[in-house]
Amino acid sequence: MPSTARANDTIAAVATPPGQGGIGIVRISGPLAARIGATVTGAELPRRRPALRNFVRRGESLDRGVALYFPGPGSFTGEDVVELQGHGGPMVLQMVLEAALTEGARLARPGEFTERAYVNGKLDLAQAEAVADLIASTSAAAARGAFRSLEGAFSTQVHALDERITRLRVYVEASIDFPDEEVEILASGQVAERIDRLVSSVRALLEQGRQGVLMNQGVNIALVGPPNSGKSSLLNRLTGEETAIVTDIPGTTRDLLKVDLVIDNLPLRLVDTAGLRETEDRVEVEGVRRARREAGRADLVLALNDLADSRADDVASAWPHALPVDNKIDLVGVAPGMDRSSTPARVRISCLTGAGIDSLKEAIKERVGFAGAESAFSARRRHLVALGQASEALETSRRRLEEGAAGEIVAEELRQAHLALGEITGQTAPDDLLGEIFSTFCIGK
Amino acid sequence: MLDHREQFDVIVVGGGHAGTEAALAAARVGASTLLLTQSIETIGQMSCNPAIGGIGKSHLVREIDALDGAMARAADAAGIQFRILNASKGPAVRATRAQADRTLYRAAIRGIVERQENLRIFQQPVVDLVVEGEAVAGVVTAMGLRFRAPAVVMATGTFLGGRIHVGFETQPGGRAGDAPSNALAKRLRALPFRVGRLKTGTPPRIDRRGVEFSVLAEQPGDDPAPNLSFLPQPHPEQVSCFIAETNPRTHEIIREALDRSPLFTGAIEGPGPRYCPSIEDKVVRFAERQRHQVFVEPEGLECAELYPNGISTSLPFDVQVALVNSIRGFEKAHITRPGYAIEYDFFDPRDLEYSLETRSLAGLFFAGQINGTTGYEEAAAQGLLAGLNAARKVQGSAPWYPRRDEAYIGVMIDDLINLGASEPYRMFTSRAEYRLRLREDNADIRLTGMGRDLGLVGDERWRAYGRKTAARDRLMGRLKDRLVRPGSDAARLLEAESGSKIGSEVRLIDFLKRPEATVDQAIRVLGDTDAERELLRGVETEVKYEGYVKRQDAEIAKIRRNENIALPDDIDYHSIPGLSMELRQKLETVRPGTLARAARVPGMTPAGLSVLLVHATRGSAGKKHAVSS
Ligand SMILES: Nc1nc2c(ncn2[C@@H]2O[C@H](COP(=O)(O)OP(=O)(O)OP(=O)(O)O)[C@@H](O)[C@H]2O)c(=O)[nH]1
Ligand SMILES: [Mg+2]
Repeated sequence: MPSTARANDTIAAVATPPGQGGIGIVRISGPLAARIGATVTGAELPRRRPALRNFVRRGESLDRGVALYFPGPGSFTGEDVVELQGHGGPMVLQMVLEAALTEGARLARPGEFTERAYVNGKLDLAQAEAVADLIASTSAAAARGAFRSLEGAFSTQVHALDERITRLRVYVEASIDFPDEEVEILASGQVAERIDRLVSSVRALLEQGRQGVLMNQGVNIALVGPPNSGKSSLLNRLTGEETAIVTDIPGTTRDLLKVDLVIDNLPLRLVDTAGLRETEDRVEVEGVRRARREAGRADLVLALNDLADSRADDVASAWPHALPVDNKIDLVGVAPGMDRSSTPARVRISCLTGAGIDSLKEAIKERVGFAGAESAFSARRRHLVALGQASEALETSRRRLEEGAAGEIVAEELRQAHLALGEITGQTAPDDLLGEIFSTFCIGK
Repeated sequence: MLDHREQFDVIVVGGGHAGTEAALAAARVGASTLLLTQSIETIGQMSCNPAIGGIGKSHLVREIDALDGAMARAADAAGIQFRILNASKGPAVRATRAQADRTLYRAAIRGIVERQENLRIFQQPVVDLVVEGEAVAGVVTAMGLRFRAPAVVMATGTFLGGRIHVGFETQPGGRAGDAPSNALAKRLRALPFRVGRLKTGTPPRIDRRGVEFSVLAEQPGDDPAPNLSFLPQPHPEQVSCFIAETNPRTHEIIREALDRSPLFTGAIEGPGPRYCPSIEDKVVRFAERQRHQVFVEPEGLECAELYPNGISTSLPFDVQVALVNSIRGFEKAHITRPGYAIEYDFFDPRDLEYSLETRSLAGLFFAGQINGTTGYEEAAAQGLLAGLNAARKVQGSAPWYPRRDEAYIGVMIDDLINLGASEPYRMFTSRAEYRLRLREDNADIRLTGMGRDLGLVGDERWRAYGRKTAARDRLMGRLKDRLVRPGSDAARLLEAESGSKIGSEVRLIDFLKRPEATVDQAIRVLGDTDAERELLRGVETEVKYEGYVKRQDAEIAKIRRNENIALPDDIDYHSIPGLSMELRQKLETVRPGTLARAARVPGMTPAGLSVLLVHATRGSAGKKHAVSS
């Protein structure tokens, strides 16, 4: 590939796949990599030699770990690459990434590191073939993530915004390209008003997006297990309230109980279910049926296992997306926390004492990919970035209009806003705009 | 068959706007060139409305001029009214429009053609191509004369399968009055080109002696009259245009006659341009409108005909008479030529290379209406490019064409060969995403240097350009060097003139970036300058737009990278995972040759581009498209 194929911006992302514990890596690639690495770790990084450093953001130390600097072209991507390897878990990793983004990197798209490696001649044909599939699958995963974050209200609203910007641009472009046709509206105040309304819509959407309101369904988590394993107790523990009825009678919970909550910014919908067992009771049979259906639908199943009851089944193996949770450690004297020696990793807790609940929270975030580069979370983040850019461009266009700037300057800012939204909705071609103009106005001589 | 004894490098067929610029360009870069035309008298003929320029189009004219083409100079020499459109908007979308005297324009073009070295003219209809092996080798004329050349530019306008409609009367034809060249058409049809059908129309022309001008709105030209060319020429006498209006009575006449309209009864099938609908179209589609404007344009100083721009129609002649006479001021107007709609075939420009060479026959180039475009300016710009590249091919050089961020010519070529023409293609500024940098005022700065390297730009223009850039650099230097301190005389002057405060020391050039600041104010601080008005404005624009231009640089750099990444012809887009069904289908029809072209497919997303990027290596790996520099 020719040298002109070099990208000129710097990208960053969490490089370790979500749900894999141990160390987490933030990778930065591009011309600013070395500088960002130095800023985040407090000092210049040595070339190709590991350095043990504190990762800091705004003076606050986030984690301590190994920093590596591979100068281009001898790196994986062919550009300057910095890797920050930490131990602090997904949330900390996310914060280290934020630090890199604050310093001028941009969040990488799915597969973008590999893409750069390919563009810079770092991959041969066979490797490229393999990578093609990888990118296809990650972008499919991203699409699913994007879909989830874009589901429902959010998606509708972003597309509605896109349409409104199109309408506005139709007017502005028409007044530029067809000045004879009496569509002179830039001066009329109409445009200003429309931009104002757009800005407030984008801002409101951004705000909602930031608070995760639109992810209200969030990640669906089903609490499943045999009767008396402590499902309802765990629900209460996580919500911090006596939401569900807890008794020592097996079969207390007979219907679904759904609760929305947020754990460390991750919006969740918890569903407590009836204990799984064979029974004659018609109400309970229905409850068990619903429990299984809910487990099948959920993003993650918390499969409770009662350590104090040796006859109870461990149901975790029934679902590939189950996280096994051993409860009542207080009765059997086992240490709380995550056990990574088995696959999948298990978490040991006590709903009674609260021991191990923090580990459980971490495990949940890990399993749903809250920190992963291409999780629903990141996809949503990218969308928020795009919305932010759109909002900024709209506000600038408004200011330019105010200053009496030329029509084409206002139009250019609107184009930028449209371009930013296009990152989510797909780009609008000039010819589409013209088509709209022709169907809206009586144009032509 | 008789062989002409002379061997040419480039033969251009057609003496219209595309043909003349093609022949001139080929000859300018040193190719021995032959221009074959059905009639020498019609060289440079304006067959539709007698105007050059207008929004988007004037940008093309300035670019042709920057490459030393003929159109702007001829328009300056023939222009009888000049206006700057969008004067109230910014410099990037300001556009010059000239109303031309047909006769003067024709004479100007013919003069330029006849003075051009390396260029011969010959009057004979072309009836066939000479094809040897896989390549074109010349043409055959009606009298059986064979001219040999390794490159042929077809600039034959709407001669293919033309059909003229006036009411239900139809007849085969090119332009009204010209015999269609059907033999050649047959030959071209035998080649594997995709053929499409389009429609366009003209209004009835009227005699000025029957028009009551006192009841029409006068539209005078700008004073002083601007120039289209960077090499200014004196203009002839200037006149006004007028604006008339249709009224409910006109619309009623039209509605009552719709059952006799070929447009509405299905006799016409080709899609017409959406931006230039017939009056019957406008009346039906915008039924709530009480009036439509009619721009009354003189066809020339000495000539009695007027071109009523805005009432293009294919209604029967008796309806045309009634509708014209229903317009206030036209009550007694006499129609000199009926309006008509014409349907014609064109060759899908997606079968062309960026150089405008056809993909199916080496050495054969297409330019102008034959590619589905409309307008003199669009035709001329393609002509220039096709003529240049035909010559370069013969001379063994790589093709040249500007990119979308370099010229409107680049936007047009790129649109044509990627998107084709679903209606007659006309330039608009909104087609150019880098509009802010593609201005009339900087067309020479964008292109003249390159034009000189290509051999297109002659000494006279090159010297003038050199003087201009030197003056510009001097002015820029002085603006950069001059510091203005708060409270100084200069600061007080600027504050008083602009109403913008100078709180801390500022360079004059940075002050000029403020919206309220003008170059006139700056000049008052600098004192005298040797720079001309137009140049001063150009400098102001450049300074004001600098921020935007810089911001676009990143966007453009990305496109350039993607241009270097070819997508093999044999990609099966349906088999690529990670793309939406809709995108796959679009890609399958467009078949973009490069990643940059794929990026412009409507609905494309960054993730989709990543997927395509990696697929770029499957099949024919490493194949690269020619890249303009
Ligand atoms: N010692 C101890 N007791 C627990 C713990 N968790 C739950 N229990 C008790 O176990 C019993 C059953 O708890 P629930 O939360 O109702 O169990 P469940 O899984 O919801 O049961 P069903 O709704 O009947 O399926 C109650 O008496 C709880 O107090 C724990 O961690 N330690
Ligand atoms: Mg329960």
